[in-house]
Amino acid sequence: MIKLENVSKNWKNFSVENINLEIKKGEYFVILGPTGAGKTLLLETIAGFHYPDTGRIIIDDKDVSFLPPEKRKVGFVYQEFMLFPHKTVFENIAFGLKIRGEKNIKNQVEGMADLVDVKNILHRHQKTLSGGEKQRVSIARALIIKPSILLLDEPLSALDALTQKKLRDELKKLHSETGVTTIHVTHDQEEALILGNRIGIMDKGKIVQTGTPEEIFRKPASEFVANFVGAENIFTGTAETKESITEIKIKNVVLYSTVRKSGKVNVSVRPEDIIISKERMKSSARNVLSGNIIEIKNKGAIIQLIVDCGLPFAAVITRQSFLDLNINIGSSVYLYFKAGNVHLF
Amino acid sequence: MRKTEFTTVFFALMGFFILLFIILPVLSLLFSESPEGLIETAKNPVVIDAIFLSCYTAFLATLVALIFGVPLAYILARKNFPGKNVVKAVIDVPIVIPHTVAGIAVLTVFGSNGIVGGNVGIQFVNAIPGIVVAMLFVSAPFLINSAREGFESVDPKLENVSRSLGASPIKTFFKISFPLASKNILTGSIMTWARAVSEFGAVIIIAYYPMIAPTLIWDRLSYGINYSRPVAVLLILICLGVFIVLRIISGRNHDKT
Repeated sequence: MIKLENVSKNWKNFSVENINLEIKKGEYFVILGPTGAGKTLLLETIAGFHYPDTGRIIIDDKDVSFLPPEKRKVGFVYQEFMLFPHKTVFENIAFGLKIRGEKNIKNQVEGMADLVDVKNILHRHQKTLSGGEKQRVSIARALIIKPSILLLDEPLSALDALTQKKLRDELKKLHSETGVTTIHVTHDQEEALILGNRIGIMDKGKIVQTGTPEEIFRKPASEFVANFVGAENIFTGTAETKESITEIKIKNVVLYSTVRKSGKVNVSVRPEDIIISKERMKSSARNVLSGNIIEIKNKGAIIQLIVDCGLPFAAVITRQSFLDLNINIGSSVYLYFKAGNVHLF
Repeated sequence: MRKTEFTTVFFALMGFFILLFIILPVLSLLFSESPEGLIETAKNPVVIDAIFLSCYTAFLATLVALIFGVPLAYILARKNFPGKNVVKAVIDVPIVIPHTVAGIAVLTVFGSNGIVGGNVGIQFVNAIPGIVVAMLFVSAPFLINSAREGFESVDPKLENVSRSLGASPIKTFFKISFPLASKNILTGSIMTWARAVSEFGAVIIIAYYPMIAPTLIWDRLSYGINYSRPVAVLLILICLGVFIVLRIISGRNHDKT
């Protein structure tokens, strides 16, 4: 369990102000906010790399506000991996155990390497590793000390899109297997939605709203939150898994998703994952909907369309395609999106 | 065919002249002595003692610079404090002042009546400690500056991670920061040693005796260049040898990381 009471910190051009937060044991908490909101500073203050100017930090009922990081037992994972370049993968993972003078290092490292799937690269140096491998090693290195909390600072942001998705799913799996209390900082809404048990929205050094993903995305408490998360298509429906695909019924609309889940679910589809067309076309996309445009919002280089397909769907297209398509309010269009882009939570 | 640009040719030509300017005197010095004459000189215990003393005192100066300079370099790389730029400027002072002036300054402090020389019970004037302090004064900046650059190139986030994994600041220094800066520290040490071996002006002011090699060369010059040159050639051969070997070692270290 971790509790922040009125924590404030000013450091260089960043600041966090009056943070009050309580994260339960075993919870996966995501701090979501734009760049420069002070997310990393908050995480580094929890880790003890900075001491708070005011306020208290309590981990497992112990006030650690001014305890140095080596006494806090927190695992830290940076966006840039931060593997020790002069050490092999094995030595990197073993570092925390060696410092503690633990026995049986080899077995523990191999067990951990198994868990994060880096067992076959233990002898290698970091410069021969891919980004995904580096981040797995860095996670293994943090987890091996059995931390009271795991702090992840934009852990997926330096990875390519494919690896990002893969590692995201594995983080979720890893969390359910280890049950480690986790604070994950990100600017990516989808990441927050999929991983977080709860989400805290951060803006200009302040936590402006906390809640479950559903609460945050459905009932944004302020205009900032609404703008930051609001562009998502979020619906509630009933899911049923059929063979390799999940069918979700939302009112009269049926969507397909590759996520396996049954019962009452929240569904989200990113507007940029939707393809708009005037004619019906051949596509591998599993989801095809049709409807009329009810709203057109000019957002500079891109245009946001709201299409009524029984449900109001937001989609974005570039200004050029908007002109090419020659569409207007009332025009009937088709919406295409892949089952892989339909997220359930 | 790709045409080489005129600028490149012109710059290479200019560069060639300055290279020639450095190489020509060194080579002509090396080839001015017959191998037999060199062997004859090398058998002279006075010469050997002087060359050994040069290498040994330079080594001591480097060691002292390491022990006191590396912590300072780390502080300069990591911490911000008022007067930091003044400290940096102070470190560069020995590089900009004339060597004889450096010698007199060192003598003022370490001479028999100086605040250190007169009080610590160690004989500096005309003794090995005197040679070492004179060498240290003129050569320490190379080590400090190079080590500072080394520590600056180590991402503080690496140290943060080490701390979070349970390592105290001092353990983090020895297990993470120092090994990662070691290439710069080694290069700095080599430069410091080389600078110390080559020092003459500052050394003779505090310690003409025991004679280091440059002093012996100077001393022999009064009997004629033919008497002093073989010592010069021997010194240059030994120094270049040491220099090249150390460079190769530090180059190898670099490849590993």
